Amino acid sequence: MIGAAATVAWLGVIHGPIGAQWLNYPTKGTPRGPDGKANLTAPTPRRPDGKPDMTGVWMGVTKYMIDIAADLKEDEVPFRPAAAAEYKRRRETESKDDPSARCLPLSLPLKQTITSPFKLIDIPSREEMVMLYEGARHREIFMDGRPLPKDPEPSWYGYSIGKWDGDELVIDSNGFNGQGWLDINGHPTSEDLHVIERYRRIDFGHMSLEITIDDPKNYTKPWKVKESPSLLPDTELLEAVCENNQDLEHMVGK
Amino acid sequence: MNTKSVIAIAGFAMAAAAQLFAHHSFAAEFDANKRVTLKGKVTKVDWRNPHIYLYLNVKDDRGGVTEWACEGGPPNVLLRQGWTRASVKEGDEIIIDGAVAKDGSKRCNSRSVNLADGRKVFAGSSENSVGGADNKQ
Repeated sequence: MIGAAATVAWLGVIHGPIGAQWLNYPTKGTPRGPDGKANLTAPTPRRPDGKPDMTGVWMGVTKYMIDIAADLKEDEVPFRPAAAAEYKRRRETESKDDPSARCLPLSLPLKQTITSPFKLIDIPSREEMVMLYEGARHREIFMDGRPLPKDPEPSWYGYSIGKWDGDELVIDSNGFNGQGWLDINGHPTSEDLHVIERYRRIDFGHMSLEITIDDPKNYTKPWKVKESPSLLPDTELLEAVCENNQDLEHMVGK
Repeated sequence: MNTKSVIAIAGFAMAAAAQLFAHHSFAAEFDANKRVTLKGKVTKVDWRNPHIYLYLNVKDDRGGVTEWACEGGPPNVLLRQGWTRASVKEGDEIIIDGAVAKDGSKRCNSRSVNLADGRKVFAGSSENSVGGADNKQ
């Protein structure tokens, strides 16, 4: 993860405060090499009960933020005809109608694939995990065995429950409002969107993430993509309030 | 800007190109084929989300002055790449290499900035996201 490596290098160069809180501050419990840098290939940290501890500041890979199907062939996204037509329209207008360009929230799975970090905090004593994002948004993932809501009030982030499948954290989410895009290219969603995320912490600094998109209104069958978030060591989330959006009136599309 | 900051930013510029952030589609607003190199004096730095803006007065051959507004990455992306809000200051003479707005306004998307001392740094452009080299469409 080049950006993370660069962030660490920055520590060695600058002395004294820089303009953001805890942009560079050593995180307790981080395994380190002789040079003091975080050892990102150290073993997966574990909770007292032996399950992987997923806590950390993580970030996805640019190409999936842009096109969640970046690794799939064109015909591997099982579009229904109306969804294919809407996707084509969004591409032909250069994504000018992207809700995030209006400072509206990102929905799932874009929240997880965008190259802005998310912080996962595992709270086993409360049977809950929390994901925090730089845009001052959050998700709660309930690990207490409750079912997904049957008739949920539609929402941008949906409702999430989690469970362990061996060493994999499996998060199941529904209750979306259909306004979110799966990526900036504009793969569409509907209120029937159901997302399954499977996270595996491979070592200290790396995760695999498999995302299943199940949205029968837009796609003829569930389809899967694979992501690979990396840990950003020795940093914290920074505030990001979308307060000065000057782009909208200039976004002409084609 | 002190020398250490400048060196660090220059180092980052090379390393950080992998981290892009697209608040909006690049190609919806800017034309990658219409490049511009703007040399001028910074009149204002607007260090806010979702994009920073550098405003600069650019002189033409006839002595006229035009104010341009060039967006860069969001503050957090730039902070992680080594920028601070003091990296470019009002009054600095800088050069921006960017892409021009499709609607004809005097706006650009900054790809790189030559700082007052001549060092060239990456400005967090999202050009290689939608409509750029990474785009499948």
